[in-house]
Amino acid sequence: MHEFAIATSLVEALLELVKKQSASKVLEVHLSVGKLRVVSIDQLKFSYGILSKGTALEGSILDVEETPGFARCNNCNYTQKLDTDDLSFHFGLPQMTCPKCTTNLILEGGDELLITRVRMLAPSTSSTVSTNGPV
Amino acid sequence: MTSAEGEVFDVELEVNILRENERLAKENKSRLESKGIHAVDVMGSVGSGKTSLIKSMISRLKKDLRIAVIEGDVTTTIDSDIISSEGVPTVQVNTGKECHLDANLIRKALDKIPLDKLDLIFIENVGNLICPAEFPLGSDRRLVVVSVTEGPYMVVKHPMMFRDAKVVAINKIDVAAAMGVDPNKLSADVARLNPKAATVHTSCRNGIGVDEVIEKLGLKNR
Repeated sequence: MHEFAIATSLVEALLELVKKQSASKVLEVHLSVGKLRVVSIDQLKFSYGILSKGTALEGSILDVEETPGFARCNNCNYTQKLDTDDLSFHFGLPQMTCPKCTTNLILEGGDELLITRVRMLAPSTSSTVSTNGPV
Repeated sequence: MTSAEGEVFDVELEVNILRENERLAKENKSRLESKGIHAVDVMGSVGSGKTSLIKSMISRLKKDLRIAVIEGDVTTTIDSDIISSEGVPTVQVNTGKECHLDANLIRKALDKIPLDKLDLIFIENVGNLICPAEFPLGSDRRLVVVSVTEGPYMVVKHPMMFRDAKVVAINKIDVAAAMGVDPNKLSADVARLNPKAATVHTSCRNGIGVDEVIEKLGLKNR
């Protein structure tokens, strides 16, 4: 249920961006969420739908790309994709000991919780908006 | 690209959704560091024994260290009442409907504590093994408390909670046999998920393992 708190932060960050970009409306929001984050995408979208009502975000599409976990051993350079979809393995976090040299594995991916792209609408009165606006 | 309503444009960015919490957590951390205060974030399920373990540690440490406790709970002051019997300052943070503490709640709690007169703060998170893992508070070490009464699969079912733990206490080992739960199996599960964490078997009722938790947290001989 912490997804509501995450969605609140998301909406705040997006409304700030809308203001900065002088946009009239947000059409699409793209996120990158690592599979090792404890975030339920369905709950996040549900919360976003509620929180975006009555704002420039209302009706926008929330698209979430889930990024896989990836670990590396600093000692022997062994790399491992972390299969978080295999429920018999471990639901969220697989073994973090290197199977080759028993050193601790370092997490290199799957930890993201990012806004990556936002598609917005500029008011029609504006005439100098680029298609790839400044960040 | 244009539509009937105006011009469509994309902005590419890389913004952490929880950046505000991360920022406040960093702020809390440097605030504590500047005063030379260590902070332990204590996490675990409802009834795992977080409060009892904190109380046991305080009674051993209070003659050498100046300690305060921030107690997080959805409601009631039960935990802070228990802790304040040790004679240390406590702040109760009731989250109301939230399932976790966040950095902003800790920032406000720190305003209520005499930071110039402290060496150590215990922050007891809301009893929950899922949500608190996503919200760093600004502590410099994490203690996770699991008890044998929660069954044999507590660790493997909540792996994220153990990722950043410095110490994991396997609590209530005095009733392990009655529960039919092997504490060594729980320790082995922790070792697989986080090989860096120290695991200690504890029983607050009998005082078993409390000194070792203190030592592994690095709170001794300060």
